Amino acid sequence: MPAASGLAGHARSHNLLELRGIEKRYGTVLANAGIDLDVPPGSVVGLLGENGSGKSTLMKILFGVVPADRGGIVFRQQELSGHTPAEAIAAGIGMVHQHFMLFDGMSVAENVLLGLGGRGRLRLADAAMAIRRTSETYGLDLDPAAIVGDLPLGSRQRVEIVKALMRDVQLLILDEPTSNLAPPEVARLLAICSRLRDEGRSIIFISHKLGEVLEICGHIVVLRDGRVVARCDGSASRAELARLMVGRDPPPPLARAAHAAGKPLLALRGIELSMSDTASSGSICFEVREGEILAIAGVDGNGQHELGRSIAGLQRPRAGSIRLGNEDVTRWSVGARVAAGLAYVPADRATTSLVPRLSVAENLMLRDCTRPPFGQHGVLWPSALRRVARAAMAAYAIRARSGSMPAGQLSGGNQQKIVLAREIGRQPRVLVVLQPTWGLDPETTGFVMAQILRLRDAGAAILYISSELDEVLALGDRIGVMAGGRLVDIMERAHANSDRLGLMMGSSAHGSAA
Amino acid sequence: MTARLVVAVMELPAFRAVLALLLAMLCTGILVALAGASPVAALQAVMAGAFGSIDRIAYGLNRAAIYILGGTGVVLCFRAGIINIGGEGQIALGGLCAGWAVLRHPGAGPMLSVTSGLLGGMLGGLAWAVLAAIIHVVRRVNEVVVTLLMNFIAGLLVEVALHGPLGEVGAGFLQSPPLPSASRLPLLVEGTDLHAGILAAIAVALLAQLLLRRSGPGFALRVLGESHRAAAYAGFSRIRLTIGLMALAGALAGLAGAVEVLGVQQRVVDGFSRGFGFNAIAVALLAALEPWATIPAGLFFAFLETGTRTMQRRIGIPASLVVVTQALTMLFVLAAMAGAGRKGARSARPAIAG
Repeated sequence: MPAASGLAGHARSHNLLELRGIEKRYGTVLANAGIDLDVPPGSVVGLLGENGSGKSTLMKILFGVVPADRGGIVFRQQELSGHTPAEAIAAGIGMVHQHFMLFDGMSVAENVLLGLGGRGRLRLADAAMAIRRTSETYGLDLDPAAIVGDLPLGSRQRVEIVKALMRDVQLLILDEPTSNLAPPEVARLLAICSRLRDEGRSIIFISHKLGEVLEICGHIVVLRDGRVVARCDGSASRAELARLMVGRDPPPPLARAAHAAGKPLLALRGIELSMSDTASSGSICFEVREGEILAIAGVDGNGQHELGRSIAGLQRPRAGSIRLGNEDVTRWSVGARVAAGLAYVPADRATTSLVPRLSVAENLMLRDCTRPPFGQHGVLWPSALRRVARAAMAAYAIRARSGSMPAGQLSGGNQQKIVLAREIGRQPRVLVVLQPTWGLDPETTGFVMAQILRLRDAGAAILYISSELDEVLALGDRIGVMAGGRLVDIMERAHANSDRLGLMMGSSAHGSAA
Repeated sequence: MTARLVVAVMELPAFRAVLALLLAMLCTGILVALAGASPVAALQAVMAGAFGSIDRIAYGLNRAAIYILGGTGVVLCFRAGIINIGGEGQIALGGLCAGWAVLRHPGAGPMLSVTSGLLGGMLGGLAWAVLAAIIHVVRRVNEVVVTLLMNFIAGLLVEVALHGPLGEVGAGFLQSPPLPSASRLPLLVEGTDLHAGILAAIAVALLAQLLLRRSGPGFALRVLGESHRAAAYAGFSRIRLTIGLMALAGALAGLAGAVEVLGVQQRVVDGFSRGFGFNAIAVALLAALEPWATIPAGLFFAFLETGTRTMQRRIGIPASLVVVTQALTMLFVLAAMAGAGRKGARSARPAIAG
């Protein structure tokens, strides 16, 4: 592997940031086992690794969120140790977390102003002007008066970037920045990154998406089990990086049984979604048949959540009807739809599909506590619950000490496995699933997709909604695109490719509008 | 090795509780000394007031019954994220309705009289709480505001009733006529005031524990307390759960009021339940929102109260110091328990971080 020239062995003064022998232990787990990392000025350093490889811990230590057990940090020739995030910010380090740290009810300008902290008296109007200026310089396309909660995720991320830029950061940490962006928005983010780099700022780009890492990063550091397993430059091959990251060859592509789809199990007729903003929702019509996956691509925030919620019964559509099998369920309650065989995996694990403080086992019965095997007539059966939990943990390889452990203590991948175990374990006729691989590492992503394919082969009808083109193309028997609250088109698998879908997604997407 | 043992002992909840009590006693002693009295005499007075005689113990147990009943309702509401601080008014109305129900049938036998009193009390508290719940759910008024303000109205309603239809004519004090002796709660120990309320309270707390842990509605309310979105996703109706829970908590508070009126006062006296509802909230928090734990917490609070009241009378320290003493003890105990909880969470959380 080509050793990147700027990374090791150079004089100290050349690097913007140097991490030396960072070590951090959580209980019995060594999250960081002596990590060295150098970031030269004006560079984009990719930090690659699966979930649990120690990326987040390392960045938390750098940003002063948790202290390191051992090791040193030198930033701009200054030793940083025992620092707080406020001190890291003051020193010129900015971080954009995967889950944005924004106040949804406030405007862009107010959020930026709050982020500036105690730097004298800055008036809102001045902030707005500065935001507009910065936004134009870097092509961020932000309206200072817009309310953050109304913005699509891509724009919110740019609010975070503006926050950092207004503090004149020299080092910007981007944690999984593309995990919820559509292809056009990813391209835009990468353009912003190269612009910052050309100005002499540096970026640590955390990701497990190899394509974009190779595209933007001059240096790449691969972590596995808390150690640096490789340092390479942008000329490394994708396959090589993938192998380094997981420590073995990637799984073979998913096998799918070829079979004709049966009768329609889920049918939407003339559905008009109630959207949070005033944007028009077109009339949506489609069917999903037995043994078929209808995959829907689209930039996040174009009505996918509203579509999922409407089918699940969590919100009423403005018009139209929803049929499940032979029955019109448009006015049915959530529970009645679950009982009728409708499973639903929403995108939001943190507050909807999982209750972090309840145990793994309790999360497994979240939507089924009124039915055997979990209970009946309002009485719960704890021993049955323990049994089901043990079986599900084995079948879905959920890594937890026991079923009574709080689900929030598990990694994102294991949490999503709980949700899938519950929704698929019920053997539903119809599964509606949104962004099920968000924030998961490649291995877990593969596992999730395999489970969904297996359910399809067992004869269920599946609606798979995602902004990940690769997944949509890999899974869909038919593939549709949502933009602006409408279903733009549905095509056969054979006719779909990423260019065509990307074009349709970008055409009338909210994500590109400010 | 020794060090490890010491650490292990220090982590024991019992040890922490005892330590908290000792610290509270130390602080109280300092305050008492500053007020010019002898700390030793003060402590003796507290113990004598709480456990000094059968009558004192009976008094404490009767009071504990109120706190356990009220506290259990509060625990259930708080676990569902419904901040019901209307126990004060629900207890007052419960007592009033119990008295009213009994006085309506002056010639009834013990069975009918006690049953109608208890039922009346429960329905009174229930109605008051459900009214608050409906205002909260339908008009979307914050439940803290509704339940808090309705406490004042309830207190005034009791006054109005005692001024009017339920008042004793010619009494110097605002109170109802004495209740017929048939309505008196059965005594546990003849010759004392100890009535069966404490047993009912313990049974209620244990049943609530079962409800919370082993029933569908209990699971639903725990989910609701964690996340409204998750509850909607799971198919639980927030409105139905809120009204149902408030009804239950109101009924328990009303029962507490009825127990006080039928078991102790034997009449409705103005202000008979002052402070009960708020103390029940303190008990619920002290119980760390576990229904069964309202039993020790309620006992603790009741005996703390009876003991410190005696301290005030015997050694003549200011009444406000008694409240300070109670609050200090609560603070120390809560701090010890909060510390234990955080410690546990810290060591457990990162173990499976990957």
